Amino acid sequence: MGILGTLRSRILTVGLPPQPPALPRQVTPPKHVFRWDLDKTYLRTEFDSLGDLIKSAIENAADKQAYPGATALLRALRGEGHRICIVSGSPTQMRQVLAAKLALDGVEWDEFVLKDNLRNILRGRFRALRAQIPYKLPALLDSRIRSLPAPNETLFGDDAEADAIIYCLYADILSERVTPADLARVLDAARAYPDDTDRILDLARRVPKGPVVRRMFIHLDRRSPPGGFYRYGRRLVPVFNYFQTAMVLYGDRVLTARQVLFVALEMLDSRQFELATIANSLQDLLRRGRLEREVALRLATEATEAAEQGALSGRSDLPPFDQIARAFADRVRQLGSAAPPQIPGDDEPLDYVKLVDEEHERRRVRRKRGVAVTSG
Amino acid sequence: MGGDLAPDAIVRGAAEASLSLPGAEIVLVGDATALGRLLPKLRHDGARVRVHHAPSFVEMDEKPAEALAAKPDASILVGADLVARGEGDALVSAGNTGASVLACSRRWKLLPGVRRAALAAVFPTELRRGDRNDPFSLLLDVGATIDATAEDLVTFAVMGSAYARLVSQNRRPRVALLSNGNEAGKGPAAVVRAHELLLETTELNFVGNIEGLDIPRGVADVVVCSGFVGNVVIKMLEGVSETVIRLARYAHKEKLTWRLGLLALSSAIDQLKEVTDWQQYGGAPLLGFEHLFIKAHGRSSARAVTNAIKVAHKALAGGLTSHIARTMAEVEERRRRTGLAAAGEG
Repeated sequence: MGILGTLRSRILTVGLPPQPPALPRQVTPPKHVFRWDLDKTYLRTEFDSLGDLIKSAIENAADKQAYPGATALLRALRGEGHRICIVSGSPTQMRQVLAAKLALDGVEWDEFVLKDNLRNILRGRFRALRAQIPYKLPALLDSRIRSLPAPNETLFGDDAEADAIIYCLYADILSERVTPADLARVLDAARAYPDDTDRILDLARRVPKGPVVRRMFIHLDRRSPPGGFYRYGRRLVPVFNYFQTAMVLYGDRVLTARQVLFVALEMLDSRQFELATIANSLQDLLRRGRLEREVALRLATEATEAAEQGALSGRSDLPPFDQIARAFADRVRQLGSAAPPQIPGDDEPLDYVKLVDEEHERRRVRRKRGVAVTSG
Repeated sequence: MGGDLAPDAIVRGAAEASLSLPGAEIVLVGDATALGRLLPKLRHDGARVRVHHAPSFVEMDEKPAEALAAKPDASILVGADLVARGEGDALVSAGNTGASVLACSRRWKLLPGVRRAALAAVFPTELRRGDRNDPFSLLLDVGATIDATAEDLVTFAVMGSAYARLVSQNRRPRVALLSNGNEAGKGPAAVVRAHELLLETTELNFVGNIEGLDIPRGVADVVVCSGFVGNVVIKMLEGVSETVIRLARYAHKEKLTWRLGLLALSSAIDQLKEVTDWQQYGGAPLLGFEHLFIKAHGRSSARAVTNAIKVAHKALAGGLTSHIARTMAEVEERRRRTGLAAAGEG
């Protein structure tokens, strides 16, 4: 206890805030920032049991598995004026192995923030070990403050924890739709420590404002019902896989048809997807009203052009592209004239306190069922 | 998209199957708008479920032939068409049984050597069977072929045996003919002749004739009869079970001592209900076509629908139809050889 006490007092005295490594000074602001979570968003990580947690902590970079299509997507997003920022709930001790995994996959990043859980333990802040909002929200705000502000941001998370709430809250703080008093109430509901609340309120005051969050994606790793995310509005899209993400980003004019093809090819190469399941993914988006039919048709035309220009050259394992295009067209045709459901607009204000309370209840139920809950 | 609890139970069952059957693709045939509203409310895998729009469906109380004539775009016809075109491998429905059988017979071809299809039904018995410790026996035909010849009954025996071997993991299912006595000479001419033919059918484990009372005892794993007899039997078994439940309810209300007696037996009754729960079996197959149709009970819950899809998946994975075709070819070949030998001797 003596050593722990000494360490604790030293940290409290020095007062180290969680700082990401220093970034190179930018001259021009990025055009678009893509903020990614890692576990269950990019990496197939299981932490439903203690065994899973241990396995995840000790496995090496080569053993870690990315979701099919995620690597191709991250590479496609690495364009001129684009910035890739990773904010993960994994502990800082895993930085080396996670960075090695990203390097193995050929994924370049500009910023990589991990959670300093050792510091939380040493300070006796055990509530912070599981805390989602008090960790991730300031990490996002701080990241935006520390670089030149981008006019566009796209966020990628998953349904394992509170990513949908955090991302919408972040977007609404930037759009000045959340008052400091409201934010304080949300942080209180999220059981943030008082000094964390003060720090987050300060970051929210200082962060460059604007309606910059264009899109948020929630990877349905737990296969949560996608309809449960309607309340977050059109800006947040739950996706079953990265072909769906790529198609929506194509509709947002962030990706080209050729890049969407590359995401699909990576998924096919993983052998976890077939042409039929990829075509079904398109139909699912149309059915849920997350993709316009016109966008799907435009994508088909441009993908055909890309295929004619050699985007699929050397892929003798695939059927001729007109056959592939027909499979996709069939899925659209099979829907008949079905009208997609009405999704609320993005102007509807969210009751964050209620959302946080509901999330806590879900975690409590999962814990009761014996499913481990960690900061993912 | 028929059935008493459709479309809710069907969509729920299919959504669950998309998660629990990796590698399977579920095609939901029905009103795309309604299905598109239901699916997002459920846990499922969006890449493994697709929707095929069919604007109408056959009501449970409609006359099959008239309904299919009036509704050429009914979901059961569209589904049978999709399977016939190779866009699906098996069809599962909890809708109108007559319309389902008729739709399959209009759209699908019979297997080589099969002259008539048979609809099978499962029923709980005292004895259990197979590696799965299955409490259910198979009764066929229960209504697809009203008047069956002796050759048809042999075909039904081959098909039922193949199905039991695959789905109940029963390596050598006991096959019996339903008659009005155990003796070989008992019953109508078709049954007597079928008995003779089945004795020669060495591909099967034929145990002879059984009577109606042997069915719930589980004396045979596959019980073969004409569609007329099978339909009467299955309806009577259903009626008896409903009457028993009604009597128990009456006893529960009538006397305190009876109520206490039922209470004392409640855990045993619950266990019995679990063992004989038809919903765990999912559905019954229509056998004899090049494709597989699983008829789920009209009152199927989501669990029963999931199980019906699992049964279809299992039968497909085990190559049920090709197995039936192969056995039928063997039977034909043996008969031909036996016929030639007999002619030679003559």
